[in-house]
Amino acid sequence: MTQDPAVKYLRTIDLGRCIGCGACEAACEFVHGAPFIVVHRTSVGLDIPISCMHCAKAPCVAACPTGAMTIDNTGAVYVEQSKCIGCLACLYACPFGIPELDRATRTAVKCHLCMDLRREGLEPACSAICPANAILYGEDALVFQLAKKRTAESMAKARFEFEFRGV
Amino acid sequence: MGDYMKFAFMCRERRQSLNTRVAVIGAGPAGLSATGFLACSGYDVDVYDKQPLPGGLMTFAIPSWRIPPSRILDGARELEEKFNVKIITRSKVYAGEETHEEGDNLVEKKINLEDILSQYDLVLITTGTWISKIPKLPGTGARGVTTALEYLYKWKIHEYNLAPVKPPIAKRIVVIGGGYSAVDAAEKALKTGAEVHLVYRRTIREAPAGIYEIERIKREGVAFTELASPVEIIEKNGVAMGVKFQKMTLGPPDETGRPKPIPIPGGEFTVDADLVVFATGESPTPPISPSRAEAVGIKLNKDGSIWVNDIMQTSNPKVFAAGDVVHGASRIGPAVKSGLKAARYMHNWFMAKTGRMITPGVIAQ
Repeated sequence: MTQDPAVKYLRTIDLGRCIGCGACEAACEFVHGAPFIVVHRTSVGLDIPISCMHCAKAPCVAACPTGAMTIDNTGAVYVEQSKCIGCLACLYACPFGIPELDRATRTAVKCHLCMDLRREGLEPACSAICPANAILYGEDALVFQLAKKRTAESMAKARFEFEFRGV
Repeated sequence: MGDYMKFAFMCRERRQSLNTRVAVIGAGPAGLSATGFLACSGYDVDVYDKQPLPGGLMTFAIPSWRIPPSRILDGARELEEKFNVKIITRSKVYAGEETHEEGDNLVEKKINLEDILSQYDLVLITTGTWISKIPKLPGTGARGVTTALEYLYKWKIHEYNLAPVKPPIAKRIVVIGGGYSAVDAAEKALKTGAEVHLVYRRTIREAPAGIYEIERIKREGVAFTELASPVEIIEKNGVAMGVKFQKMTLGPPDETGRPKPIPIPGGEFTVDADLVVFATGESPTPPISPSRAEAVGIKLNKDGSIWVNDIMQTSNPKVFAAGDVVHGASRIGPAVKSGLKAARYMHNWFMAKTGRMITPGVIAQ
């Protein structure tokens, strides 16, 4: 899977399929030293993985005063470490609270969808290892299509069960 | 995005062979993740597992609607086809006199751990937790008393058509516990048409499976009682008839930080059941008996887990260990994390020992 710069790539997390096991977090931490996707136990007991949404109109990119926060040609939002001054304007701007400050480099760090792995033609570690197939990464058109196909399946299943199983 | 788990997510293909043989004992999430890294790094890896299929509890306990088995099996197949890994199934590696473990039903071959130690340059132990803890109560030896692991396992081998084993069927099933095994066993029991009662000694808020999962199976039809602890299995002629419970209340936090359940005097009640399923935790199952451990040089901790140093190396330098057999029953994530970590430590240690450079790259930080 070598990435075509003309095509945009996307990651989405299907919370309906996620089992909260934390394999994504483990693989991410292994690759990066610290995890950029973290599974949070919530008050209702569901475990929700949180990571960068890689917004197409990313507020962090707009807010960055030095141009360190950038979008690469596949659509991944990443930090160019050499330009970053560690001000965390990106964190203030981010609706999801994603960017963090690395105390050693004094720069912002966040998920870049495993840039190094993608350069090798591999997919991000989180989606590669997910046992539940909950993390979708690929060409945006394919991801959009698959997300809808899954919705269709669950709607059909609900109707089937209602009509034939009485639930 | 793909149809299977990519255990070798960190490389496209195997590096040049190091001509070094590694045995991984246990093909669960820890063992397979470690195998992915070791194969990428150029080791020749043989994975041994007592089950007929790889995946460990992902394949043999976790319901297939949570993890489609094909994702695990196709992932393991990729390791074999692309990364020169051999997965040797139905083979139980052990040293010393064996104690009863669950899930040994389909073992065909016993391999002595000491033979493995002499045949391989490095060994990684990832044998998990295949013994269920059952509280010591009167009547637990009765027919009709089982464990969540045994219960789910028997249904799995029935569903995979691996052996002509009659799965456990009962009319009234009581499941005791508050974790994922309890929830999965209760839900499975419900699907078999049984009347199912789940009983937990703390409240739904403390249940390790979480409020959401317990509410979900309540909606499906499982009766849930919180704040009750079993005191006795009621039996007649050696067959379980029900469970006597003691009502509990929550006290100050115990050593785990959770509120300690305290009995309410006089608060006893009985639930009828012809099958009682204990989902009250699992213990580590190292491939070695405590009496043999010292001779082989693999130190065990008091709770049966394997002692490792800060690079996840056992007291036998060429043997590393990871996953639930080291840190106790957990989830897939911690097992994967531990497996990957141990594999990297093992690689770095071996490269240093043999005076070789660690090839830089994504996988060798």
